[in-house]
Amino acid sequence: MTTDLTDYVASRVAILDLVRQMLRDTMKLQIEPEAIDPDAPLFGTGLGMDSVDAVELVIQLDGAFDLELAGSPEAFLTIRTVNTIVDAIMEASGES
Amino acid sequence: MSYTPHITGWGVASALGVGRERLRSALLRGETGIAPVQRFDTSLFTAQVGAMVPGYESDDRDPTALCLEFGSLALRDALEHARLDLDCLRSRRVALTLGTSLFGDQNTESLARDLAKAFSIEGPAITISTACTSSTQAIGFAADLIREGFADLVLAGGIDALTPKLFAGFDALGVLSEGPCTPFGLQIGTTLGEGAGFVVIERGGMRDAVTYSVLRGYGLSGDAFHETSPDPRGRGVAAAIRGALDDAGALEAEIGYFNAHGTGTMANDTAEWCAVQSVFGPELGGALPLSSSKGHLGHAQSAAGVLEMITTLECMGAGLAPTTAGFEGARPGGPPSPVGTKKPQPLAYELALSSNSAFGGNNCALVFGNAGAASVDPEEVRPVFVSAAAALSSGVNTMDELASIYESESPPAERKLRIDLAAELPRVDLRGIDRASELLTAVTSRALADAGMQLRGKARERTGLIAGTLRASADSLERFHESVERRGLAKPDTTAFAQVLPSAAQSACAKALNIRGPQSTITIGEGSGLMAAALSARMLARRRDSDRIVAAAVDVRADDIEGGALADAACALVLCTAPTAVEVAGIGLAGPEHLDEAIAEAQRRWGSEEPPDLVIESSKPFAGMPATSSSFALAHALGLLRRGHARTVLVSSKGTTASVAIILTSTEITHDN
Amino acid sequence: MSLEDEYRAVRYGAALSRMEHVGLLRLRGDDAIEAVDAICSGDLWVRDGRMLQTLILDEQAQPIADVYVCPDDDTCILMVEGITPEEFSACLARHADPDLEFELENLRPEHDLLSLHGPYAWEVLSKWLTPDIIGLPYLSFYRFDRGVCFRAGKTGEFGYDLVMRSEDAEVARRELLELISSFGGAEVSLETLDLCALENGFFSIRHGSLEGLTPLELQLQWRISTRKPFPGALAIEERRAEGMTRRLTHFAARDGVKTGDALHGPDAPVGEVMTVAFSPGAGGLVGTALLDISVAHPGIDEFFVRQGESTTPIRTVSSPLLVNRSLLVDPHRHSYSTRGDLSPLPLWQGSLP
Repeated sequence: MTTDLTDYVASRVAILDLVRQMLRDTMKLQIEPEAIDPDAPLFGTGLGMDSVDAVELVIQLDGAFDLELAGSPEAFLTIRTVNTIVDAIMEASGES
Repeated sequence: MSYTPHITGWGVASALGVGRERLRSALLRGETGIAPVQRFDTSLFTAQVGAMVPGYESDDRDPTALCLEFGSLALRDALEHARLDLDCLRSRRVALTLGTSLFGDQNTESLARDLAKAFSIEGPAITISTACTSSTQAIGFAADLIREGFADLVLAGGIDALTPKLFAGFDALGVLSEGPCTPFGLQIGTTLGEGAGFVVIERGGMRDAVTYSVLRGYGLSGDAFHETSPDPRGRGVAAAIRGALDDAGALEAEIGYFNAHGTGTMANDTAEWCAVQSVFGPELGGALPLSSSKGHLGHAQSAAGVLEMITTLECMGAGLAPTTAGFEGARPGGPPSPVGTKKPQPLAYELALSSNSAFGGNNCALVFGNAGAASVDPEEVRPVFVSAAAALSSGVNTMDELASIYESESPPAERKLRIDLAAELPRVDLRGIDRASELLTAVTSRALADAGMQLRGKARERTGLIAGTLRASADSLERFHESVERRGLAKPDTTAFAQVLPSAAQSACAKALNIRGPQSTITIGEGSGLMAAALSARMLARRRDSDRIVAAAVDVRADDIEGGALADAACALVLCTAPTAVEVAGIGLAGPEHLDEAIAEAQRRWGSEEPPDLVIESSKPFAGMPATSSSFALAHALGLLRRGHARTVLVSSKGTTASVAIILTSTEITHDN
Repeated sequence: MSLEDEYRAVRYGAALSRMEHVGLLRLRGDDAIEAVDAICSGDLWVRDGRMLQTLILDEQAQPIADVYVCPDDDTCILMVEGITPEEFSACLARHADPDLEFELENLRPEHDLLSLHGPYAWEVLSKWLTPDIIGLPYLSFYRFDRGVCFRAGKTGEFGYDLVMRSEDAEVARRELLELISSFGGAEVSLETLDLCALENGFFSIRHGSLEGLTPLELQLQWRISTRKPFPGALAIEERRAEGMTRRLTHFAARDGVKTGDALHGPDAPVGEVMTVAFSPGAGGLVGTALLDISVAHPGIDEFFVRQGESTTPIRTVSSPLLVNRSLLVDPHRHSYSTRGDLSPLPLWQGSLP
């Protein structure tokens, strides 16, 4: 792999792991972090979180990753899967 | 014998003013009590308005003190309207049924205890803490107390105060409207309010009083759907309305006006409209005058039910239908033409329906108005039996272990109480369940299993749940308060907020096990479990909408609170109408200082000359489990009777705000009731 | 009708489809749920009126069926893709306790399944069935006079499945076709629905070869129970212990990519293409690939397909690949007639390599 690619993947994996840990620890999903598929839907089907969880998740993400999702109309588009969350985090920190 | 509950007075402290005169004139002028919030800073929230009690807009003292003041003002106003004084109260069998949730910060019965003391109410004081249906249920239970002769006069109502945390929680859930709410109208969202209201309900003909209205009946149900959203198709609301009509012996066509819960949120208003159409049909439903009082009063939480009933009573007496303040056009998906004129509309009607719904899917509806033909006929009362029980605490996992604790007369060993609910209920989604919910669900499912009951089909609507508990689960409370401390009021933990109600455990249990019948959460402090059993038994005896009710109790350790439980415990008993080996032979209720009266009442209703074989006074050996210890006692009595160690057992509890006595008998013995 | 037209109907209006590829089964009896639980991979958290998406795996943990389980008191309706009713029955015979009390019934040919998909599918049904339909939550169902209405769908738009007796289904199909004509609608083929599923990241039992693949590689761990035994459970444990070496990832490309193509990175091969199709929404190709676990992430532009001397780049992307119109439509407030008022977010927000 090129260095850029290596770095990119490393950054992604680090954030992926943090987000999965958050889902497990603070959102109380009873599933091991490694078992949270990065593209699994978080809401409705998939991991089955609901609208009340969505509010809480957005607050937690904003707090942990310095995002500004709360109150933004695009928040619900961003938090569809773990990968889309990682995309948003990487974009916010200028890494993509 | 059955007595008709007469409404002989009422009193308020509401956003439209303190005192019913102020309320009436404001209603007639079409005024709103919603205004920018002054009590705390709302700049971080989406909503900026609330409906506060005038004179207290900036009053930011402890909410319990504020509630006590609102309650006292409303009670005094009600007593004055009904022409009652304190001496009068003292000399009668007077009870208090109070809807309040106190946001779980304290033991919920403390407000009723203080009010009862201040007003010399010496009969039982029962607190119902089911959030937005609390006072509606309080009024329903008051009707039962009168109908069955447990009290001659009941002061029934509710109290709530608007606090920053309450506001923050609702705002974070996204259900508050930015400006004043317009139920069924174009603005989406609700506006929070506060206040207190009481109605005086008494046995007709007992004294020289004016009967303004008759309380004909009430209905209760549970959605078993979601912690904060109602069943979108309104099935639970419909069930509560049907239950109320049935209890009232009234036909849909007799209802002349419907005071809806109408919060203004999309979820509630559409679900409620679905319910109306389902119960009344498209024609009657389309023509039924309806409105929501929340445009005037905001969403007064635990006081919503009573304030909205009083609004209806005031208008009904003046030949008017209350209007929906702020209404400027109907929202798609809701009723096309609710009463939404600036001022109340002239309307002559004899019977009104009022409904409320709460977080956790609790629904309650009331029918009141003219006397009607059926209401003075004595009801046919069914015998009630106990079919099963389950008990849980450190050292107690089975009924045998419960029995050995009683036999050894020493407190159970202190061990951490661990249960694996996921293993016991592999088919139930238990994610996010808190400690109280976990314990209550465990004992309820075990008790139902012990009773051989699998809840399928119609059985789900015909099974109820009444839980006795003193506060919300300690873990949810801690999580919520901690989130506010750490992240500020703008970012409370919404999943915890949904669970900081005393009724959250009962709702979660109902959802997990699909219990959709009559349900409630009550407290009398110490002895709550036994009171839950007493209420369950009477409901089964009188009503036709359920076949079994689980009477349960749960305590979660909260030793940092005064009077808080010292250990986790839960207990559930299945009461039913199908005959079993053990019958509920007699029930007595009285004030906390009059346990002997409660016992005498139970004995009298049992109708036996002989005293019971065995007497179990509930609090030992399970001290430190205020709600559950009395249920343990009742469960132990069940065990003794089943094993033939006694033929008749009396279980009693000198509770914090009421005394309860229940006599269980083995069914080889029969007595005339 | 062209694929483009059909696609537009699903993504912008309302589309109808006869779902002949879906098996309709019903289990009745006290142990119906337990029987299903014995062969399905996921935890069956049963709530009346709710649907659960789960899988049936073979002993190597390869998915052989994609199943919706719909418990309704002591009846359970199943919508099954991938295996026949006979194969399903055989599976039950092999894995479910023989003492369980249940009856299995194939609902076809007496019954048919019609589906509606689209940002305004709810509006079509609110006219045809009942205005209350907008209150039906996702993944729940209810009975009406002529059949059962399920809210599901694998396109990312509002989706409703109607199971009815065949005679009623025929009449319904005609009535619904007439209604959807005023919604920019059409009857659409399975190919269009499969394309929409691919774009939205929905698993399809028909997307490419699943040989040697388990829910781990396929990003379907959410459909796997960690608490109960089921066919394939052991193989999953073994694969977990060995460690996953590949993972399904979505990608986009301009053209020149086919199923089975090898994918290369700057230094070495990185995987192979599983499925690929032209997307009118993206204006290019969208697909899934099995990539080496070390690089199975969205946002990578370094991979390509070799075609003789030249190379065609692909870009890995997160799924869902687009912003469904349905996310912006609020049935309480919007309507097909006011669709122009919706904010003009393009469906496809990414760009091709």
